[in-house]
Amino acid sequence: MTVVLAALLALTAAPGATAQEQQPAGKLTFTVGIVNDVDSLNPFIGILAETYEVWALMYDYLVGYSQKDFSPVPGLAESWEVSDDELTWTYKIRQGVKWSDGQPLTAKDAAYTFNRIMKGTFEQTNYGNYVSNIKTVQAPDDTTLVMTTKEPSPTMLRLAVPILPEHIWKDIDSKEVTTFDNEKDAVGSGPFVLAERSTGQFVRLVANKSYWGGAPKIDEVVYRVFNNADAQLQALKKGEIDFADGLDPAPFNSLKNTEGITAVAGDYSGFDELAFNTGAALDTGEPIGDGHPALKDKRVRQAIAHAVDKQALVDRVLGGYGTPATGIIPALYQNLTFQPADGEAFNFDLAEANRRLDEAGYKDTDGDKVREMPDGSRPLRFRLFARQESNTSQQSVQFIQGWLRDIGIATEVKVVEENRLTEIIGQGEFDMFEWGWVVEPDPDYQLSTFTCGARSYKQGGDVLANLSDSFYCNPEYDKLYEQQKVTIDPAKRAEIVKQMQKMLYDDAPYVVTFYYDELQAYRSDRFTGFQAQPDPGGVVLFGYGTYSYRNITTPQAAAASADDGGSGVPVVPIAIGVAVLGGAGVLLALRRRSTQDERE
Amino acid sequence: MATAASRSLTLSAGQRRLGAKLVGAVLSLAFVLVFNFFLFRVLPGDPAKNLTRNRLVPAEQVQVLRESFGLGRPLPQQFVSYVGDTLTGDLGISYKFRRPVSEVIAERIWPTVLLLGLSTVLSTVIGLWIGIRGAWRRGSVFDRVSLGASLALYAMPEFWLGILLLILFGVGVGGFPGLFPTGGLSSPNTELASLAGIVDVARHLFLPCLTLTLAYIAEYALVMRSSLLDELGQDYLTTARAKGLRDALVLRRHAVPNALLPTTTLIFLNLGFVVSGAITIETVYSWPGLGLLSYEALRTPDYPLLQGVFLLFSAAVILANVVADLLYAYLDPRVRTG
Repeated sequence: MTVVLAALLALTAAPGATAQEQQPAGKLTFTVGIVNDVDSLNPFIGILAETYEVWALMYDYLVGYSQKDFSPVPGLAESWEVSDDELTWTYKIRQGVKWSDGQPLTAKDAAYTFNRIMKGTFEQTNYGNYVSNIKTVQAPDDTTLVMTTKEPSPTMLRLAVPILPEHIWKDIDSKEVTTFDNEKDAVGSGPFVLAERSTGQFVRLVANKSYWGGAPKIDEVVYRVFNNADAQLQALKKGEIDFADGLDPAPFNSLKNTEGITAVAGDYSGFDELAFNTGAALDTGEPIGDGHPALKDKRVRQAIAHAVDKQALVDRVLGGYGTPATGIIPALYQNLTFQPADGEAFNFDLAEANRRLDEAGYKDTDGDKVREMPDGSRPLRFRLFARQESNTSQQSVQFIQGWLRDIGIATEVKVVEENRLTEIIGQGEFDMFEWGWVVEPDPDYQLSTFTCGARSYKQGGDVLANLSDSFYCNPEYDKLYEQQKVTIDPAKRAEIVKQMQKMLYDDAPYVVTFYYDELQAYRSDRFTGFQAQPDPGGVVLFGYGTYSYRNITTPQAAAASADDGGSGVPVVPIAIGVAVLGGAGVLLALRRRSTQDERE
Repeated sequence: MATAASRSLTLSAGQRRLGAKLVGAVLSLAFVLVFNFFLFRVLPGDPAKNLTRNRLVPAEQVQVLRESFGLGRPLPQQFVSYVGDTLTGDLGISYKFRRPVSEVIAERIWPTVLLLGLSTVLSTVIGLWIGIRGAWRRGSVFDRVSLGASLALYAMPEFWLGILLLILFGVGVGGFPGLFPTGGLSSPNTELASLAGIVDVARHLFLPCLTLTLAYIAEYALVMRSSLLDELGQDYLTTARAKGLRDALVLRRHAVPNALLPTTTLIFLNLGFVVSGAITIETVYSWPGLGLLSYEALRTPDYPLLQGVFLLFSAAVILANVVADLLYAYLDPRVRTG
């Protein structure tokens, strides 16, 4: 036993005790902690945000998102133009780009990728939406890609489809593609090339020094999987990893004062909302579920909007890391986000909320402090769902429950798993719930979730959930939705998008509570040159692009004292300290003994 | 003539017992096979829906996915093909990872067996030693200290003990350096089948193994201690001493073998669970084992993967029980004749 222990301890004294020292000399590795393992490296299979981040390093897209404000910027397509009838798009593909196996990348690869998706079935799962409006894709020569569309479409500059090498993927047929792991010798054209993957542990990529957008200054990127956020945090403090995101406010605050670490609360593209069952029905209009009738009345929903103190939620649930929200397009999309005019906003005002409910006829007739329907039939008692997986969700509903009590509305809070809640919502068997969305730079998807056609649908005898979770249905809104879908001019489209958000704000199927910040931290003693997106104020990784990965490098004065002590847990009970000293003594003694053994 | 007949009779009785055990084991496994199928389908959540949530996937596409999983067919039909495939050794394709279930499990099984196997062996050996020594010198300083310490460790929540050790030895506190990695099984850029690779895995293995060993010692120590104490009052030990045997021999030859029986049961009970992993410790140390895999599978829910891992878990427990039964017969003659 002692021998085993001593042997193991001897290991710790062996060279290569920390992650950094283990690298071959001169190789600069940037290690990112992730709390979800990459699910599959096959671009037709994976679905997680972490996976999309890895693909962004491995592959190129036709058009990218600018670092400053997400506007379209050249990717593999160095320029593009649209015909006068707005139905034909011609992309000029970069010359001289090579795949990581040395083969030239041409417009034919791009055409192959799109055609494969359009003709495929399984291939449509991840990208079907991008090609639904495309009629033909052709590559008349190696540098020209021509696409024709059924209708004019602004999303032609937002096609988030990784361009794949035809010479590899043509050998993977429609059956094999459903299980192909794309792990061994994966061929891409992005700024990094996949080198090694160990399931449940890490993904390693090496820099593509001949990348058309400029060689990355680092040599490797490693994504290391952590199964719990505490360990990830400790690894960052120790310097085993260089970057962590998805931090909670408390550890984030502790990192702010840690030497060698820079903490970034970046504007993010997500929002949370309090959603209402505005009258659950199928896409055909046939009513389903058992939502409370009062919530079909928009006056009740508006009164509730007055009773939600968004600033308090930001301060007390998010620890201040967020902003009160207005529309369903987050504030970081400056051109598209919506602000209500003065006097039209539902500011936090319980008296006003009470007044509105009184006026609408919802009065407390039996003196139990809970209002009844105007006909006295039913009290305003709502089921309010929160998500088990999210502390934010559970804390938010606690506050909301309190405010609603003040305006004579009783709530029964139910905390359920997200899987279960998805089902409950799809069946329309709820009154209110707290959840959120992450919104892409293109607003189409988010806007579509409020169309009549996005409500649940029937298949066989089963009712199945679709994207709509408030069952909002407004023909006027749908008309605007169709209109923005075919408006190519960004300014005109933005106007329509804002108008749609105003409609949602007034009709209040959601009370959008806040836009939250993404809390990230990195070892600024090892790396510098991170690029925020949007600039300024945005996140530095896990955005839309590879700006930081390509730009970071070591600070000139590489601190030699980077990862020695002092960065431990700030508040450690004295008892632990004593235990440590005792333990250290034992370990030292043991180690000394083991070296003695070796000498003998 | 008569002796030969009676011998062949006892032999066949032994075979009969073995046969009965094996039949029982196979029946249990068959029950698990059937039970798993229905158990997981009661879970909330539609796999196809969950795998496409919050993404722009048209309803028709979700249906394509659902059908590719074979979920469009009536339940009895799904059940028949599930049983057929499993019997022919085909565990299906994982919904989430989109790879054969057997492949996904194979990747995760050795880290789990390595960690749980090693810590089970270590905690058994240390635990038995503490139990024996404690019982033999009951009330001594060693007994009181070791009993108190192992009980304290046993009572500690595993994840808390894990985090504590991770901070102490993984990160380092004060001037004390973090000696071991904070998680994972191996480092990138390392060839596993080399000396450096083995050293690397050993360094990663140290903390999770230490945590589990500390947490499990008490179980063995306590059972061993109490069953040995039971034996110590027995008359045959007095007889042995009266025959003039030395204390050490009395202990080793007479008391310990008899006291080992309950511990054997415990060891095999635990060995059966070696493959199911230790989900809390796998979480704390980001150990890529089967415990975590089953948790991930539950979240989708990934029916084929769930069925695969639970079949494996059940088979391991059943096998360990069969082995324990047989071993018991060898260790304890009463079982053989009775």
